[in-house]
Amino acid sequence: MAKYNAMTQEWLDAWKEKIATSKEYREIAKNWEGSVSMIVNPDPEKGIPEPIYLFMDFWHGDVLEIALCDKAKAESAKFVMSGDYARWKQVAKKEVDSTKALMQGKLKLKGDLTYIVRNIKTVNKVIDLLCEIEAIWPDEA
Amino acid sequence: MANGYAGRFLRVDLTDGLCSPFTVEEDRLRKFIGGSSLGAKLFLDGYPLDADPLAPESPLMVMTGPMVGSGFPGTSRFAVCAKSPLTGIWGESACGGTFGPELKKAGYDGIVITGRAEKPVVLSIVEGEAKLIDASGLWGRDIYETTDLLKEADKGAKALVIGPAGENLVRFAAIGNDKGHFVGRTGLGAVMGAKRLKAISVRGEGKLAKADEARFRELHREAVQQIKDSALAGSLHAMGSDANMDIGMINGDVPVKNWSVGEDFDLSSALSGPTLSETYLTRAHACAHCPVACKRVVRVPDGPFQTEEGPGPEYETCATFGTMIMNRDLAGVIKANEICNRLGMDTISCGAAIAWAMELFEKGTLTVKETDGLDLAWGNMESVLALLPRIARREGFGDLLAQGSLAAARKIGGNAVDAVVHVKGLDLPMHDPRGFHGMGLAYMMSNRGACHLQHAVLATEQGMASWPQLFPMKDDYKGTTSEGKAELVFHSENYGILGNSLSICHYLTDCLKPETIRDAFNAITGFGLDFDGLMACGARDWTLKRGINNLLGVTEKDDVLPKRIMTPLAEGAGAGSVPDVEKLKREYYALRGLDERGFPREEKLRELGLDDLRERLY
Repeated sequence: MAKYNAMTQEWLDAWKEKIATSKEYREIAKNWEGSVSMIVNPDPEKGIPEPIYLFMDFWHGDVLEIALCDKAKAESAKFVMSGDYARWKQVAKKEVDSTKALMQGKLKLKGDLTYIVRNIKTVNKVIDLLCEIEAIWPDEA
Repeated sequence: MANGYAGRFLRVDLTDGLCSPFTVEEDRLRKFIGGSSLGAKLFLDGYPLDADPLAPESPLMVMTGPMVGSGFPGTSRFAVCAKSPLTGIWGESACGGTFGPELKKAGYDGIVITGRAEKPVVLSIVEGEAKLIDASGLWGRDIYETTDLLKEADKGAKALVIGPAGENLVRFAAIGNDKGHFVGRTGLGAVMGAKRLKAISVRGEGKLAKADEARFRELHREAVQQIKDSALAGSLHAMGSDANMDIGMINGDVPVKNWSVGEDFDLSSALSGPTLSETYLTRAHACAHCPVACKRVVRVPDGPFQTEEGPGPEYETCATFGTMIMNRDLAGVIKANEICNRLGMDTISCGAAIAWAMELFEKGTLTVKETDGLDLAWGNMESVLALLPRIARREGFGDLLAQGSLAAARKIGGNAVDAVVHVKGLDLPMHDPRGFHGMGLAYMMSNRGACHLQHAVLATEQGMASWPQLFPMKDDYKGTTSEGKAELVFHSENYGILGNSLSICHYLTDCLKPETIRDAFNAITGFGLDFDGLMACGARDWTLKRGINNLLGVTEKDDVLPKRIMTPLAEGAGAGSVPDVEKLKREYYALRGLDERGFPREEKLRELGLDDLRERLY
C-alpha cells in the first residue's frame, strides 16, 4: 500500500478518494450537509512551524472537497475543529477516539454540537477512513 | 466551627416529636468530609445495623458537604442515606436541585431522622428552628401537588417530598426535590414513608464562612471559564444527559430489550438527546449554582401522551422506558417520567421491573391473568402508563412489581430470576458492562449495589474525562477488555466517591480540572488537603461502607455480575464480549486490601484510620 506524507495535499487526495469510493460512507452520510475544517496548531519541534488549515465539504453522501486552505476559509466552515499536532496524529492513527479527544478538551470544536452527535456515525466513518491511509508524519520523516 | 460547615446537625425523633441539634468534631469532618461518607460513619457509630430498614429505629440521614452553599459550580448536591429497603444493605442516593444549599443556609449540615410519627408530618426548618407540622392533608397527594402546597404555605422554602409510592412503601420509592430533582436509587422514599414523614421543608438566609474568600472567588472564575471551554458541558447544556443515547448505542453502552439485544439505531435515534431537543424541549434548567444547566424542561403538546410543561427525562429514563422496553415513542417516555415523578418512583428500578415483566410476558410465564388484564407486549406504553399507578398504590400485579424485580422474580420462581439484571438487589443502571468491562467491575463492587454514580468510571472508561495528574491513565481505553480496568476502577472510585463526599455533581467533576476542585475545597475549608489526602478520603469511604455491608452479611459471593450480563450479545460494539470477572475481582481485591472473604484486611483498616470498624469486623 502506498504511503503518503501526512498533512499534504496528496494525503488529503487519498482520503478524499477513500471517502468517495466508500458505499458505507455514502449510506451513513446521506443526511450530512456542510463543511468541516481542521486546524493543526503549530509545533516547530515536530516539523509543524506554522498552523495547517484543512477544509472539507460534504453533502448528502458526496465528498465535494478536501484541501489545504488558508485561515479565512478554514474559519468559514460550518464546523471548525482545532488541536495540537500530536492530538491530530493520535486521532489519525486511531490511538485516540475523536469524540473522546473532544470531550477531554484535547480537540476544540466550534459549531453545533447537537448536529455532530446526531451524525456521530458519519463523523466516525470519515475518521475511520482516514485511519486506513498509511502516512509518514512530519516528525517521523 | 470548621469553615465550610454550618457547624451543627439536626437530630429528629419522630416518635416523641423531639428535634435537637448536635455537632460533629472537626477531626471526624476532616476524615469523612461530608455527604454519604459522614452519613455512613454516623450510621455505624450510632444505630442498630440489624434493624429492618423500615423500622422506627433505622435512621434516615440527609447530608450535605462543605462545598454546598458556597456557590461553586455543581455544589448543590446532597445525599440521603439509610439501610436500603430494596437491597437490605447500605443505601444512598445523591441529588441536585436546591435543597442542599438551602439546608446549609437554614443552619444545618445534615439531618438524622429516627422514629415513626403517629400521623403524617412535615419537618419544617426555618432559620435554624425545626418543628413538626401535621401533614394529614398532604398524605396521598403526589409530589408535584405537595411541593406546590408547601411553597404556597412558605414561598421561599425548598422541599424534599415523597409521593404515594413512598407512603405505600414501594421498595424503589424516590424522594423529590422541587419536582425536577430526585433521590432515586435504593428506595429511600419508602424509609421516609415508613416514618410517616411526608416532606422536609427548609428555608434560611445564613452565610457560609470560607477560609479564604478571595482565593475562592478567583477559583470560582476559573471554574466558570473551564465550563465555558468544555465540550462535555456544552453537550450537556444542549442535549442533557441523553446526549449519551446516540454515542452510547454506537459504543455498546445502551441496553436494549432487557439487556438481550446489542444495538438498535432506530430506537436510539428516536429517543436521543438531539431528538428531544428538536421535539419536546421547551428550555434547559439548572440546579442551584450550576452554569451547565443539563436538566430538561419539556412539554408534549398533544396526542395520547400529552403533558404540561415540566421536568423532562434524563438518559437513564429514556433507556428504561425506551430502549429497555422497546418503546420508540419519546412522548411516551416523557409521560412515564412525569407519572414516576409525581408518584415518586425511581425510573431505573421501575423501568427495569417493567422490562423484566415484559420479557416474562413474551415467554408466557406471565399472562394477562397475572397482569390483571394488561397486555405487556414489548413497547406497549398504554399498558405501562396504566401499570405505574398500580405499582405506586400496590394494587394487584402492581404490588408484585412494587417489591422490586428481584423479590418479584423470586416469588414467581423458575427461570424468572435469570431475567433480573441486578447486583446485590439493585437493578443495573443503563450502561452495559459487555461494552465496558470496567463498568462491570464497578457494578460488582459499588457499595449500594449496581451503580454508575458511586465512582467516576463512566467518565474515565468512556473517555469523557482524563485525569493523569490524579492517577496513571491511558489516553483512550478500549471498552471490551478487562486489562488494566481494576486499577482504573479503583482510582476512579476513590475520586468519584470524593466528589460525593464534597457533594459536587459528577458532571462538574468531569468538566473541571481536579486542581481547581481541590483548591476550591481548601479555600472553603482551610483543610489544606493534597491529592493524596483527598483520594485517601475516597478510599476510606469505600472501605467504611464495605465494612458496613460486611456486617450486614455481604461477602465475596455477592461480588458477581448477573447471568444476563455474562451472556455475550450477538451484535453491537460489545458483541461476543463479557467481563473477565475472576481477573477483575482478583486484581481489585488486591488494590482494595480485601481478603478472600471480601472483608477489608485489618492492616488496611488501620491504614485508613478505621479502627472502630476493625473492632466490629475482627
